[in-house]
Amino acid sequence: MASRRRIAPWIALAVGAVVAFLFVILASAKNDTTETAATPLLGKTAPAARGTTLDGDEWDLTRRKGSWVVLNFFQSSCVPCKEEHPELVRFAEQQAALGADGAELYTIVFSDDSPEAARKFFEDNGGDWPVILDERGSIGVSFGVNQVPETWIVSPGGVIVYRTIAKVTADTLSAQVQQFREATQ
Amino acid sequence: MSKQARMASLKRWPGWLLMLGVAVALVLIGTLRDGAARTETDRVDSITKRIACPVCSGESVFESRNAASVNIHNKVEDLVREGRLNDSEIIATLQEDSSAQLLLVPKRSGLDALVWALPVAAGVVAFAGLGLAFRKWVRTEDAVPTDDDRALVDAARGGDPVDVDSPGPDSQVTT
Repeated sequence: MASRRRIAPWIALAVGAVVAFLFVILASAKNDTTETAATPLLGKTAPAARGTTLDGDEWDLTRRKGSWVVLNFFQSSCVPCKEEHPELVRFAEQQAALGADGAELYTIVFSDDSPEAARKFFEDNGGDWPVILDERGSIGVSFGVNQVPETWIVSPGGVIVYRTIAKVTADTLSAQVQQFREATQ
Repeated sequence: MSKQARMASLKRWPGWLLMLGVAVALVLIGTLRDGAARTETDRVDSITKRIACPVCSGESVFESRNAASVNIHNKVEDLVREGRLNDSEIIATLQEDSSAQLLLVPKRSGLDALVWALPVAAGVVAFAGLGLAFRKWVRTEDAVPTDDDRALVDAARGGDPVDVDSPGPDSQVTT
């Protein structure tokens, strides 16, 4: 009986230590449901991205080297995308005003959107930049895009320098591109 | 341990050995079984069952009909069709590009390894505990009463101490 009494506190201590350890792990664990703009692709060469524009032309991201490229992942039925669209129209105008130095804007249509719906959206809401269809979602998966809207900036060297999973405004996006442009000059 | 007890213990060994043999054989069959040739669809299904839907909770890409999952499913199909990468390499490729935790089953390294190691450790401790308990019970059978035990029994019987080592013709020890 005496030995049992001596062992019991140690067993209780061990169980308590294990419970405390598990508690610490759970408390410090990253919440998987929290979306983050952090991406392992930041600072790396942009993944291969090829598609077809709404006009039927072939599009390849690697051929855009030499220009700042802004990729906006979009879906015509997504409410934040609709809200963001006027800002993208303004951003495109701001960049066009910069001439050859201006960034190129491309919309990547998220896979479950139909080309007809995307075409109608742009006819109704404006925007004359190229719209790329990502019918099998390979561009989205390569960039790790799970929800829209998302906006990425790719440097003239083809390196990913920025990602945001929030709605953008024309002024902040232009400022961001300008900041990167100046940093590389 | 008496000779009789030792013999009884030896008689139990074949049964335990048989059980151990069956267990080892089943484990070997399970781990070394050579499955039939897998089709591309089998591979895609097998891979997508191991990948978590990045925007839903607790579902695999195989089950989910979410757009992000459908995209990943398509990508897996493309990579399997290309035939350059094995299943693990395809999953690693997808994970490289994603900020989300795509593995549905925890890794076997780092802190995640605890998920695999703790149940095994618990099993080992439990078996060790059972082993100790069994040993203790076996020992109890062979226990020899101490003087204190005899004194306790005598006190309970209310009589004089009985010398069990040299019993008289009329004396009888009952327990």
